[in-house]
Amino acid sequence: MADITLKVNGATRTGSPEARKTLADFLRDDLNLTGTHVGCEHGVCGACTVIVDGRAVRSCLMLAVQAAGSEVTTVEGLAPDGALGPLQQAMWDSHSFQCGFCTPGFVMQATAFLSDHPDAGEQQIREALSGNICRCTGYQSIIDGVLLAAQRNRTLGNRETLSEERR
Amino acid sequence: MTAIAAERYTGASIKRSEDPRILTGAGRYVDDIKLPGMLHAAFVRSPMAHARVLSVDVSAARALPGVVAVLTGAELEAMTVPGPDALMALVGWAGPTPEFTLLATDKVRLVGDPVAVVVAESRYLAEDGCELVEVEYDDLPPVVDAAFALDPGSPPLFANLGDNIARVHSRHEFGDVSATFARADRVTDLHIDVHRHQNVPMEGRGCVASYDADSGVMTMHAATQSVHVTRIAVAMRLGMEQDKVRVLAGDIGGSFGLKIGASREELAVAAASRAVGRPVKWIEDRGENLTASGQAREESFDVRAAVSNDGDLLGLDVKMIVDTGSYPGMGAMVPDIMEAMLPGPYKLAAMGFESTAVTTNKACYVAYRGPWASETFVRERVLDLIAKDLGLDPVEIRLRNVALRTDPPTMMITGRPLVGVTAKESLERIAHLVDLPAFRRRQAEARAQGRYLGIGVATFIEAAPGPRSPEGPRGPLDLESMRLQLTEDGIVVLFTGQMPHGQSHQTTLAQIAADEFGVPFEQVRVVVGDSAVVPFGLTGGSRSATMTGGVALHGARQLKAKVLDFAADLMEVSAQDLLITDGNVWVRGDPASAISVTEVAQRAASGPSGDGAAELEVEATYDGGEGGWSGGTHCAIVDVDAETGIVKVERYVAVEDCGALINPAVVEGQIRGGVAQGIGAVLLERSAYGEDGTFQSATFMDYLMPTACDVPRIEIEHLETVPLDADVNFRGVGEGGMIVAPPTVVNAIEDALSPFGVRIYEQHLPPARILELIAEGDSGR
Repeated sequence: MADITLKVNGATRTGSPEARKTLADFLRDDLNLTGTHVGCEHGVCGACTVIVDGRAVRSCLMLAVQAAGSEVTTVEGLAPDGALGPLQQAMWDSHSFQCGFCTPGFVMQATAFLSDHPDAGEQQIREALSGNICRCTGYQSIIDGVLLAAQRNRTLGNRETLSEERR
Repeated sequence: MTAIAAERYTGASIKRSEDPRILTGAGRYVDDIKLPGMLHAAFVRSPMAHARVLSVDVSAARALPGVVAVLTGAELEAMTVPGPDALMALVGWAGPTPEFTLLATDKVRLVGDPVAVVVAESRYLAEDGCELVEVEYDDLPPVVDAAFALDPGSPPLFANLGDNIARVHSRHEFGDVSATFARADRVTDLHIDVHRHQNVPMEGRGCVASYDADSGVMTMHAATQSVHVTRIAVAMRLGMEQDKVRVLAGDIGGSFGLKIGASREELAVAAASRAVGRPVKWIEDRGENLTASGQAREESFDVRAAVSNDGDLLGLDVKMIVDTGSYPGMGAMVPDIMEAMLPGPYKLAAMGFESTAVTTNKACYVAYRGPWASETFVRERVLDLIAKDLGLDPVEIRLRNVALRTDPPTMMITGRPLVGVTAKESLERIAHLVDLPAFRRRQAEARAQGRYLGIGVATFIEAAPGPRSPEGPRGPLDLESMRLQLTEDGIVVLFTGQMPHGQSHQTTLAQIAADEFGVPFEQVRVVVGDSAVVPFGLTGGSRSATMTGGVALHGARQLKAKVLDFAADLMEVSAQDLLITDGNVWVRGDPASAISVTEVAQRAASGPSGDGAAELEVEATYDGGEGGWSGGTHCAIVDVDAETGIVKVERYVAVEDCGALINPAVVEGQIRGGVAQGIGAVLLERSAYGEDGTFQSATFMDYLMPTACDVPRIEIEHLETVPLDADVNFRGVGEGGMIVAPPTVVNAIEDALSPFGVRIYEQHLPPARILELIAEGDSGR
């Protein structure tokens, strides 16, 4: 066991996970943040993606103790007051998902990507999301959701919104 | 209310009511369940494909701090009721029933066969415990392929079967097979293989079983396609009365046929919870899921086709071998559906069909999206191969053979009427959309530059639910039930046995009921996932659009009539003069008379007790009405790199007829998702075994699935359907994409490789295989 302190979705959290506990399990079991899903436990499917210090990471491949002192954003952090963030809204409008299990990973990966690439086109978005597996949709509706979010962001000129979410 | 209030919800791409929770991480999947005192299970699994279990030593595991119990196969048998797999029992399986134990007892039959279950304070500790269980095995020769399984000298997996034949589906002939083949200009013989691949939902199997010794009630939180089938399975195996088992399910992370009822592991977890008196959770990890949850397909077909020189497909004669893996279930049952569906929308004069199902030391054959899909693969492959022999275009040969819509309808040679089938229309529409002549010109130009483009089409029909059966409902799934209620606060509540796992039923059923009843969409709730309150049902077989859509429509109509009867007394008018629109009850021609449905509900609730009219609830059933077929034609254009063997799907067009659309965005999501799985099946996915039965695709680095870069935009056009029923013309669309995409893509690849003389008789075409085919083609196979 090691005592760790980290910031999760803006709040300071502490815990004493075993050294071998993954960040995904720590978020889910110790902090009750079950929005982060575990899909493969070997870093391929991307369902467990969270943002750590500004970068999208696979929380099944990172140990909780490695996140000590970091700032972590999970899917719960994108809509803290219950209202959907702009990417989530665009995905709702685009019928992006079906079963929803891969959803948090896609949302977090796309959030991180769009904040760095607000002008990305379809092919770039496809490549950026090609490390996340969805078994239900054939991806088109997800890509459409990300494109719609990017377009709305540009139209509104509110690129800060997504960047803020990432922080 | 939104602007759409005055219009119909049915037919519009209403945004899903499921999405706000799943987009914010507020969905509730089985792994999100946490109960006080909950323990965690992990399974010790066999590393051997086929071996006798000589001993299982659990003493070290039991001694590990944090481990609460370790149960072996023999111990679980002693605490449960022996019997066949519940699903096989439910469908009235009459074949031989192999020994079916929750965990392996005397022998293991596949890599991943569970041997013991360790229950501990955490999953980490449970897996530590598994490491300490020592199992002594005595190797048996593995039966890894169907050819060996058919050999009488192969060691039987199940002593009580005596050999490795799970089931013989004896020969049936439809029409005059020998005369048809005798008069044919040509008879083509070929062998077609479909490889083993699998469901792979992003969420694996899992459950939390919680047994309360005081009440004797087992509460099972499950990931299932049917809470009631799970309940029956748990009750049967644990020897409990059904009313003592309650199954709850929340959001489910996909299934595609995998999560019907309760698996061996889930039943073992339920038994473990009862044994230790505490809740026990088991969440399948990805290695377990790929290795042991179940796999699908792996069929081979000897096909004879009787053909005229003009390109008429007169007859088919098919002998199928299906490799059901260990513990036969679905694989032994699927030949019946294949036989019935093999003619597709075509006017065959005769057909023969027979099948043998064998057991092998591989994962069990489970239902996977269109479990009978190989009939479409075989037929659509055969049509292209014949077209090639005769120099016909693939659309042309299909148009020649497809049954036209006639009155009375053409009968499939296997017996069902092709009523309302728009196969011809879909073929014509596809040919127009892709501009076949223009493609052929582009293809020729590309070939001149060393680029190999190809086009493929394939046509299918799906019994979703199929035309009305003259003999009426034949089983529990031919009659759908729903309870509907107007609550005191004016909400129309639908209790359904559907267990959506991506199908969007909480949206689509509410659309239908809102329209029929006359309330805003937001005033309808769809309750699923509690065996104590929902009627029997099962999500699967693409049946919910018609069956559940239909019962929602008729049920809402019945509930509305009941509400209007009560309102008529209340408003002192005749019920015939009352309307409900936009949540208000009003007298026809007098908008000022309107009172809200909510007020009517409140008045009903506060009315004199014992007043029957005040109970605003109905139980409705629906038999599918006139039913009907779904179907269509898909077309793929591929670009095959002859140097690397990499296939790129450049364009994919689907023309489909699934009847009246409830929610076009939901329908199109189903089609695209199925097509993506079909593309994966051909280009990437294979459940691979070594010669010794070792499993070689137990990670996502080995079992490859399509990513956002592998699946193109899929263009979809909906054909205007032929209405068959007065009210319900929604038809299922869940499986069609996965049924028809594999032949569509393979046909396109063969077309691309035609300069190399390539003929394709298989479904899995990764780059290495494409290169082999090109090399074999040159050598003149």
